[in-house]
Amino acid sequence: MIGDVQPSARPAPVARQKSGFEWVVDRIWRFFCSVRVGIYEIIFLALLVLIGALRNSSVPQALADAVPATKPLVERWYAWDVYHSAIFMVTMTLLAIGIAIGGIINRAPGLWAAIAHPTVTTTHGFLRGADVAANATAAAAPADLAETVAGAFRDRRYRVLTAQVGEETHLYADRNRYGKLGTVPLHVALILVLVGGIVGARWGFRDTDVMVPEGSVREIGHDTGLSVRLNRFDEDYNEDGSAKTYRSNLTVLKDGQPVRDAAITVNHPLTLGDVVFYQSGFGQAVTLDIKDAQGNVLYQDALPLGEFRSKTNPDAPAALLDLPAAGISLTVIAPDDNPPNQPELDTLHLASGQMYLMVRPLGPDSPLKDPVAQVIDQGDATTFGNATVTFERERRFTVLQVARNPAIPIFLASALMLTGGILMVFAFPHRRIRGIIGPNGAGGSRLALAPMAKRDWAGQRAFEEMVDRLEADLGLPMERSARAESA
Amino acid sequence: MQALVMLSFYSFAAASIAYVLSAICYVVYAVGRVRVRRTSLATGNGPAIVGTSASLEPTGPAIGQFATMLAWFGVVFQGISLVLRTLAAGHPPLSNMYEFSSTFVFLVGLVYLLFERHYGVRQLGAIVLPVTVAMIAYVWSLPAYLREVNPLIPALQNNPMMTFHVSMAILAYSTFAVAFAAAVLYLVKVRWNVSWLPSAALLDDLGFRAVTIGFPAMALVLILGSVWAYQAWGTYWSWDPKEAAALFTWLIYGVYLHTRTLRGWRGSRSAIILLVGFAAVVFTYYGNYVFGGLHAYGGV
Repeated sequence: MIGDVQPSARPAPVARQKSGFEWVVDRIWRFFCSVRVGIYEIIFLALLVLIGALRNSSVPQALADAVPATKPLVERWYAWDVYHSAIFMVTMTLLAIGIAIGGIINRAPGLWAAIAHPTVTTTHGFLRGADVAANATAAAAPADLAETVAGAFRDRRYRVLTAQVGEETHLYADRNRYGKLGTVPLHVALILVLVGGIVGARWGFRDTDVMVPEGSVREIGHDTGLSVRLNRFDEDYNEDGSAKTYRSNLTVLKDGQPVRDAAITVNHPLTLGDVVFYQSGFGQAVTLDIKDAQGNVLYQDALPLGEFRSKTNPDAPAALLDLPAAGISLTVIAPDDNPPNQPELDTLHLASGQMYLMVRPLGPDSPLKDPVAQVIDQGDATTFGNATVTFERERRFTVLQVARNPAIPIFLASALMLTGGILMVFAFPHRRIRGIIGPNGAGGSRLALAPMAKRDWAGQRAFEEMVDRLEADLGLPMERSARAESA
Repeated sequence: MQALVMLSFYSFAAASIAYVLSAICYVVYAVGRVRVRRTSLATGNGPAIVGTSASLEPTGPAIGQFATMLAWFGVVFQGISLVLRTLAAGHPPLSNMYEFSSTFVFLVGLVYLLFERHYGVRQLGAIVLPVTVAMIAYVWSLPAYLREVNPLIPALQNNPMMTFHVSMAILAYSTFAVAFAAAVLYLVKVRWNVSWLPSAALLDDLGFRAVTIGFPAMALVLILGSVWAYQAWGTYWSWDPKEAAALFTWLIYGVYLHTRTLRGWRGSRSAIILLVGFAAVVFTYYGNYVFGGLHAYGGV
């Protein structure tokens, strides 16, 4: 069906003096609708992202080495947490508002109008001035030719709208008109990413270093009522000594009752409700039994090694444990785990199965006056002040990340909308052709067509292909014209 | 397995030769041939040469066709190389810079040839193929141990995500390389008005079309990377420098598209943004040399 459209006569709007408030609102609206401002914001955001990326690289240091005068600047660069800075947040906020107002709210009505109610009439000036055009004459009457041409366009999946202006029929044909709407989900998706980030940060949690030794239980907290026990830790190595795989066999407990047994590896986390357990790392732990003089247990668990390192030997994993009840602070240092590297730093010379213990006084009531140090073998016990420390055994510990992110559905929705929106926009470009069919003064009719594709090579090519098909379909010789290229 | 690795490398060597010869032919085809004219003056004792002048003129189509044929040889040999390496490793060759760059060499050649076929423009090869040859030289310069098939580290032991995430990155980089070539030729065309280069409008559109493939591909890189990061590291986004560099690149091409579609930018200004965008691609590609962070296992 050809949709006949009559040009509408609308009353001219009457200008009215704006109030000061209206003026301010109008200015703010225009600011956020401005494409130019939006582009500047994207460029500025890109620069901030670049500065942040380089901050985590060796580039600033290389700059400082090459130009010593830049050293203070480089130090500030390294110290600046770009992605959490006020300027970054402000830029993101302005961009998000600009996307919402300028990219969606202000643009959507115009997009819909262009799709649903395009201007059908055109001018001979447009057809003459187009970069490419096609003209033909036919013996048929103008109305018949218009019907035939419109049918040929429809056969090629074009929508055709016509309007009668005097003796002439004005024709508008377009294809892929809904592709333009892809810009809406695309921009909504960008806002959803930001919303998801806020939701995740506000209502989620992410603990990155949950260390659980074999046989031990750790509370997850965050009002989840969950705790996790590491039943066994397995690891496998390649011939070159690199980790091939490592696996934590866990039991998750809810209010102290086991609710799920699972083995997790990197890339294969455990999801329990909305809480996810990720395999992050692993290491050695030392199981200690510490009692006071009355035999009361002060500590009886595995203490992960590696969270700290010896001050004098970075290759020696260490652990710290404060025992306020006993008035002491315990430092444990394990044997050097990379002896060939800087062997001169390994002054403790610990053998496998040995630990170096140093106890410092903690608080004014500490029974110790001065720090005391001792090397202890596995299975042995030693007394510091009122506390007796037994080094029971070494064990493995796993490092888990535990997270709850209520924004996951938001992120997934935004990913789908972003992908779908981009594909709609770019895979289905809007092709538009205008034309006028009128009498040629000799009892027949003449046809003039031109695409709305100024400086658009692909649009012009699509038009030329359409003209070729019209020629073939209608048996109508078309005279093509093209303006000389202006670079 | 070792035999497959060796065969893969030999096939890469064959592809290298084909690409180098193809690049030479494309450059000759695009630049044209030097024509020397001798000016002679007749004298009483017969003609005497008094001077010469040289000018560039378009070559015939044969050398262009030969360049295309060699490029296809390169793509086929490199494709065979990748298949053999996949069979040897048990996973697509995407896990270190040798494998990543080898796949890039394949895909950039293929993407370029598809564009050449669609647009019928051979001169673009004079930029794309030298870029490919530079990448081949880089692959040859990498330490020999990277040519061996090594077990994947635990973080990379996710074949579907590694395949889609990394392949999309290579596809995006390849199309951006084509857009870069179109931008360079556009600037040459409008600056020196080289008559036998394609029309400026075509080059301008070609660059745009390449970006309309690369930009969604780069978006998918970020999306798939986020999904994988969530599975492996427990967070969608951690502002890892490689992530940030990829986002930076995507934003630059976002600026290109916005200026073009909403501000009507065409021509030289758009071409310059494409040059900046490709510089961002190079920065992201080789960022592993200067970045730490979660992507620092690239084997460089």
